[in-house]
Amino acid sequence: MMSDVQRLRPPVYPVGKVNIPEANVLNLKNGIPVFIIESGTEDITRLEFTFRAGQVREKEALVASTTNMMLTEGSVYHKAEEISSMLDFHGAYINSSYEKDRAGIVIYLLSKHLSKILDLGREILFSPAFPENELETLMKKRLRWFLVNREKVHNIALDQFFESIFGKNHPYGRQAIEDDFSSIKPSLLREFHKLNYLPSNMAIIISGRPPVNTKELLEEFFGDLPGQELSPGSEVLHPRGEGPKKVHIPRKGAVQTAIRIGSATINKRHKDYPGLKILDTILGGYFGSRLMKNIREEKGYTYGINSLVTSFDLSGYKAISTEVSTKYSRNAVEEIYKEIDRLSNEPVSNEELNLVKNYMSGEMLRMFDGPFALAESFRAVWEFGLGNEYYYRLAERIKTISSDEIMELAQTYYNIDDLYQVTVGEE
Amino acid sequence: MISFSRFTLDNGLKILVHEDRSTPLIALNILYNVGSKDEDPGMTGFAHLFEHLMFGGSVNIPDYDTPLQMAGGENNAFTNNDITNYYLTLPAANIETGLWLESDRMAGLDFSQKNLDTQKSVVIEEYNQRYLNQPYGDAILNLRPLAYKVHPYRWPTIGMDISHIERAELDQVKDFFYSHYAPNNAILALSGNISDTEALELVKKWFGTIEKRKIRKKILPVEPHQNEARKLILEKDLPADAIYKAWHTVQRTNDDFHTLDLITDLLAGGESGRLNTILTRELKLFSEINAYITSDLDPGLLIISGKLMKDVTFSEAETALEEVLTGLSSEKGLYDEMEKVKNKFEATSVFSNTSILNKAYSLCSYELAGDAGLINQEVGKYRAVDVAMVMSAAKKYLRDTNCSSLYYKSLRANK
Repeated sequence: MMSDVQRLRPPVYPVGKVNIPEANVLNLKNGIPVFIIESGTEDITRLEFTFRAGQVREKEALVASTTNMMLTEGSVYHKAEEISSMLDFHGAYINSSYEKDRAGIVIYLLSKHLSKILDLGREILFSPAFPENELETLMKKRLRWFLVNREKVHNIALDQFFESIFGKNHPYGRQAIEDDFSSIKPSLLREFHKLNYLPSNMAIIISGRPPVNTKELLEEFFGDLPGQELSPGSEVLHPRGEGPKKVHIPRKGAVQTAIRIGSATINKRHKDYPGLKILDTILGGYFGSRLMKNIREEKGYTYGINSLVTSFDLSGYKAISTEVSTKYSRNAVEEIYKEIDRLSNEPVSNEELNLVKNYMSGEMLRMFDGPFALAESFRAVWEFGLGNEYYYRLAERIKTISSDEIMELAQTYYNIDDLYQVTVGEE
Repeated sequence: MISFSRFTLDNGLKILVHEDRSTPLIALNILYNVGSKDEDPGMTGFAHLFEHLMFGGSVNIPDYDTPLQMAGGENNAFTNNDITNYYLTLPAANIETGLWLESDRMAGLDFSQKNLDTQKSVVIEEYNQRYLNQPYGDAILNLRPLAYKVHPYRWPTIGMDISHIERAELDQVKDFFYSHYAPNNAILALSGNISDTEALELVKKWFGTIEKRKIRKKILPVEPHQNEARKLILEKDLPADAIYKAWHTVQRTNDDFHTLDLITDLLAGGESGRLNTILTRELKLFSEINAYITSDLDPGLLIISGKLMKDVTFSEAETALEEVLTGLSSEKGLYDEMEKVKNKFEATSVFSNTSILNKAYSLCSYELAGDAGLINQEVGKYRAVDVAMVMSAAKKYLRDTNCSSLYYKSLRANK
């Protein structure tokens, strides 16, 4: 065995300045913005088409997600099976992405197939047929998935949490119910598509090692689409928390209780947001966080607990979530509030603050490592009208924030009286 | 093509290095050749519980995670039937912190009762969260003992009964460590911003003086040939009926493995797979259906699982499924579809090479299967599968008498 002297802890070197490649920006002749981030070692391309066509744009539940899912269910030229066969034949993966604010598709492909995939992408996005038969099958399937998901305490808590913090009438907070699955008709989807899936409402984000003639190919397949005027959207409805601050949904026989605690908060555009990210990391944003240490590693109440702060266009939100043994659910809730309280009343020790700073600096390297991560990080600021300056600001905050500033942030943003609490489980 | 260098230290530790200068990070992967198949039947779930204990402090380091986070690192681990695998990524300049942490816990653990008690409780909550508190979450717990009668693959990694975890004692923990955790039972890979000579020097520095240990010999019972269809029906309060079917297949090093892998891609690789096209889209019998092959070191399983649509009976669903499987014994459509799944397989392998963690893990995993160089032969082997091989493997393996079927029957009136 080696002596202890030789097993001394190696020195730790500070993480150097993150090097974030800037996207190459170009505009197609009809004005569609394109962002190209060259990166990686393999001849692959990540291709994203994104529209402001998320839930926030829908009047009835499920319309935005269903419109998006139906894009690959048949076009005016090809049936669903033909579209999926063509994609599979070229080894391409397609992910439909429908979120609160945006929707679109992301395709992962071998760069040599870009021309074929752009051709197909244009067809999927701008010539969908919304066939009645496929829609009916999809809605029946979605209803089955929904019913299975409604058995999971985690999902029930998640849906109720959004309703509590954003309001049940706002698209951010509205929960789907069983009847919604039978009321989606092709005409609703056509109308939503016509209003939202417009060239003038789209951006293209490309990363990896796309072929040299990418710009020409984009002009060929997307540059001639007519640039329509966007219809002025109806008045923006702002999300607002409503209803009781504490909601319990009983699930008889559940061996664990799902807990979700949090509230709406500032989003990425606010100057305090990077600081809030650091605060959140201390609380529950990494494996060594206070919540993990206390509730998992000290007490063994749960397999995992975490917190997050994230941004939507009209609001940010923060949440703590976990599933804990039924018999400890009360203690777990109590401990969560204790940890929140501590943030406002007790300065973070230098040791802990340094740990979080170093961890987050490493995390920043991982956020920009490889073509897939780069594209995701790019979009995460671009959609808020921000650029890499956000990340440089975050890196700067990580370096300079003091424990007094952390405590001030906690006092401003973690007021226990503002929090909503959702529990799903026994009793 | 993944280039790599391979070294073996005197104490038996195998080392693989892949240099990738496009990243500022290094990934470190350590695979220990011990999984749930190495457990005593009266003490199942132990390999996985042990994985949790590996984070509870080692000889010179009271807490694994803090120094790693201090160096900007991130880590995790998983256990399966065959192996226990630990991995981390770090900024390249701090790779020694990773090697220091991993070598210290290979050299010796700090066995504490407090850590054991807490991690027992965490693992019980993991069991509750993933297996008991999810609809259909216990399917694999029921399917494995139906398919395997004697081989230790009959129990899942989490354990066949949670009371085994509750009963675990500190002496057993120590014994498990010294009989399975050792340089001569591990494979280490570094991938990322480092050269092979630098990597070798650093690994030697940190791991070179850990002594070889006597590893418990693997004496695994051979699963007898199955020659009758097995069925198990469970009635439960669930939102829909579901079917799980498992056929005995081969180990991942067997010549038929790639053919069977390709068969599952024909069935369920991508949206245009046969199961989805025929059973979900055309006949509307399933709300979802999937197929996959387990990639095990001993003979594994081909598993198909699906949830039934409302008002569909088990017999309708199963008859149609059998017809799709019988279809694999006919040439019809096979040439085109095989070209499609081969293209997809090749693309997938390129996509997975964008991750230094994937590359580090794959190198270890192929080395365990015999040769890390297999990482560069996979696509060729998959491409070499022809129509005749598919037809004959379908006939040989997808027989009713080789199949175990598990049915979840929903007790709800309006399911």
